[in-house]
Amino acid sequence: MGKVLMKGNEVIAEAAVHAGCKYYFGYPITPQSELVAYMAKRLPEVGGLFLQAESEVAAINMVYGAASAGVRVMTSSSSPGVSLKQEGISYLVGAELPAVIINVMRGGPGLGSIQPSQSDYFQATKGGGHGDYQIPVFAPATLQEIVDLMQDAFDIADRYRTPVYILGDGMLGQMMEPVEFTERKAAELPPKDWATTGTRGDGGPKITNSLRLDPDDLEKHNNHLQEKYSKIKENEVRFENYLTEDADYIVVAYGTVSRIAKNAIKKAREKGIKVGMIRPISLWPFPEKPFYETRENVKAYLTVEMSAGQMVEDVRLAVNGYKPVHFYGRTGGMVPSQEDILAEIIKMAGGDQ
Amino acid sequence: MNNDPRIKIITGHFGSGKTEISINLSRIEKEKYQKVAIVDLDVINPYFRSREVNSYFQQLGVELIAPKGELATADLPIVSGEIYRVFNDHNYRVIIDVGGDKDGATALGQYYNEIKNLDYQMYFVVNVNRPYVSTVEGIMETVRQIEVVSRLKVSALINNSNLGIETSVDDIQRGHLITEQASKELDLPILYTTISSHLRNETKDFAKEHQVLYIDRFMRLPWE
Repeated sequence: MGKVLMKGNEVIAEAAVHAGCKYYFGYPITPQSELVAYMAKRLPEVGGLFLQAESEVAAINMVYGAASAGVRVMTSSSSPGVSLKQEGISYLVGAELPAVIINVMRGGPGLGSIQPSQSDYFQATKGGGHGDYQIPVFAPATLQEIVDLMQDAFDIADRYRTPVYILGDGMLGQMMEPVEFTERKAAELPPKDWATTGTRGDGGPKITNSLRLDPDDLEKHNNHLQEKYSKIKENEVRFENYLTEDADYIVVAYGTVSRIAKNAIKKAREKGIKVGMIRPISLWPFPEKPFYETRENVKAYLTVEMSAGQMVEDVRLAVNGYKPVHFYGRTGGMVPSQEDILAEIIKMAGGDQ
Repeated sequence: MNNDPRIKIITGHFGSGKTEISINLSRIEKEKYQKVAIVDLDVINPYFRSREVNSYFQQLGVELIAPKGELATADLPIVSGEIYRVFNDHNYRVIIDVGGDKDGATALGQYYNEIKNLDYQMYFVVNVNRPYVSTVEGIMETVRQIEVVSRLKVSALINNSNLGIETSVDDIQRGHLITEQASKELDLPILYTTISSHLRNETKDFAKEHQVLYIDRFMRLPWE
């Protein structure tokens, strides 16, 4: 199969199908409705099931049911809809059920706008629902990267028995780029011997449940979850370094904003400012290593986000006071321009030289 | 077929390039005519609609007919009532940028009784690099669905086959081949092939043999 010209939302859907996802439950919301529409058309073609639920709350509970049966299942929404799903996501975590959840973020809070945003970073990376938990979060910057990350997301979900987020913004969902779907070897994954597919005289009933009334039992379960998170932190960190080797200054940005920042960095280098970029691809686990490796040599960091300042907190934790961490953000659906970011880089470097 | 009707309706599959073509056509019309209007009838896309380049239209002197103010950036299925003004004032040249697929064309259906008596043509834009319209069958099915909901007949195809910034001459030629087959099956002419103007040199030979309209791109991303 050669290259095709697709919208980000369509790529997410098609990449899920390529990753073996045959079940989708969701509810339309701008700016991710094309994903829902694409799945409605595509899943019946591969013998799968698409169901438009009566609400986001219903959709995430349908995901719980399908995941319990051991199939690859996905849901998607945009910010307000993902908020509605939080209770169900916490249940998925508690019952250790694998699923992939897409958030194509729009401006908030509340109903906000339908324009792109990155203001659900806290919700995704700090446990948006109740209870002590983390969810692996991946943030693609290009449509081609979505193809790989969707496969990773389903594999990680199955390997660790956890929900996984793909976090994009409205721009990523709506833009068009050529993409290629290449087949890759299936990962070696543990058998889903816990799935509630019936017993055949081979043991007791199989139950997926997040209710544990005995506090001692629930604490043990929490310890087990925390051990799992330690493993994920060890194994599933992803990031990209761009021109960081000789950098005096480092821009930190993820998703589409990193593409705008890249152009600003090129312009800054033309002006003689040695600037590079760390692009977190996994937002949780947050890539700390590239900061440990650069914080002694660079002069300062600049985090750029389409938010009032969320990822910048993780950047500050990783830099740990070694160097100043500046922030530039736009909110409400406004997108930072190359010129804005360049001006911030120049300011960080001490003004025009 | 009248190749230069007063009203040009641009339909096609979702993401086939209707908006870029519509903007370019309105610029071309403005070179020849005093009063030109572009109607943004897109109730499908929330972003990258022709209303986003309104400042360019103002500069050109092309009237944009679209939801205004706060409603312009909403995802509500609204169209502007002003469309009737440019239907009825025959001094206007009109480009209608319709939303994708049958869902987008449904918004066009309500004007059937107005449009049917006017000097119009309805074009269907083909990009064979898009999912679901990569084959003759896919194109025919989409054309048929759009005709049903709009109650109007497609009068010509536009080959806009491209892969965005990665478009090669091969992509254009392959697109033309499939559009040609669809054109035979549907008994519809190919109006022209639209090609991004940055490929002007590479496509000289193609342009000698085929009708070509070079177009500029207006829907840009913040890093472009």
